[in-house]
Amino acid sequence: MSLFILEVMKWFLLACAIVCLVRMFLGPTTADRLVALNILSSVTLAFLVLRGVVQQRVLYLDVALVYVIFGFLGFLAIARFLKDRLNDEEAE
Amino acid sequence: MQVERAWRIIRFVITTIALFITWFLFTADFGLFSLTTGMVGSLLIAAITYEVFIARHQANLRFFIPHPFFLARYLFVIIFLLYQSSFRMLIAVITGRASPRIVHFRTRLRSDLARMILANSITFTPGTITLDLNDDHLTVHWFFCNTIHAKAVGESVKGRIERHIGKIWL
Amino acid sequence: MMLLMREILAMIAFASAMVFGIGGLVGLFRFPDPYSRMQAGSLCGTTAVFSIFLGTLILAPSAAMAARILLIIFFFLLSAPTGSYIVARFTWNAGTSQGKPLRNRIERIADKRQGGEAE
Repeated sequence: MSLFILEVMKWFLLACAIVCLVRMFLGPTTADRLVALNILSSVTLAFLVLRGVVQQRVLYLDVALVYVIFGFLGFLAIARFLKDRLNDEEAE
Repeated sequence: MQVERAWRIIRFVITTIALFITWFLFTADFGLFSLTTGMVGSLLIAAITYEVFIARHQANLRFFIPHPFFLARYLFVIIFLLYQSSFRMLIAVITGRASPRIVHFRTRLRSDLARMILANSITFTPGTITLDLNDDHLTVHWFFCNTIHAKAVGESVKGRIERHIGKIWL
Repeated sequence: MMLLMREILAMIAFASAMVFGIGGLVGLFRFPDPYSRMQAGSLCGTTAVFSIFLGTLILAPSAAMAARILLIIFFFLLSAPTGSYIVARFTWNAGTSQGKPLRNRIERIADKRQGGEAE
């Protein structure tokens, strides 16, 4: 029973990820794409935890723990890089 | 001079304890090797970074040591508020009615940590996202705006949360 | 009996995750400007992921896993608003105005660059 619920949630998260990717693909501005990326990273985190509980492996949860702590640092770097590039484009 | 020195030592000790607690949370290991490694690492890193971790002008212990009871209560309050504001957002998505606007207000909180927690908390609650936090001045995008008067905005966006946080830190 | 109760509680948590997740994704496509999309997406997305964590915490088979999930929840509550704050700040610095996107982005960036050179 509980395995069935977890399976359903797995497919639901996959659908969420695909919708986020569509938004990233369509997004007219860079900000829209970043918003979609932000949600996509949360979905990934939820997927890792779900997978860990389904397979009863602690390793997935350790990966998720590191991901939740250092995930937004990479995100900060992306935002920073895009901001610089945007400013350069406007200047030219 | 004596006060300055004592404050320096207190900051160093608090940084070491915070680092060691974090280490222990991640390892969850009572072995001698793990504890020794964690302690040596915490001491060395605290010696380098205590000046950054707790700035010199944060001259009060209650600026960064939380009140445990109010902190525990605040966790439940923020989870309740998270669900409540999500529900409001759900209704707004269905009806499509909203009045987004960028507003400004000031906070009464004095500690940097409390201000950071306040900015994070109002990103959760009623349809607001912090755009900028500059000393005590916050720029916020508010989704259900009904006034632009700074005091009224401050009261309806953060009044309740600020009172809660004011009990935890100063 | 105990297992059944846990499963029912987990089912409630997962159902609310589905409702909020679908709401957030619909909001991501329904609103016209980046700020509103961000509001809907990040708030409902955070709540949905938080509900999934609660459900997995209820279903967790061992204490070691439950403790790790609790840690993940704690750090998620800290890092999720930080992530949306980074995006919001990027949007604001890029000069997206409220309501009408991209109206005076070029002017604002030009102003900022002039200010930066004057310093």
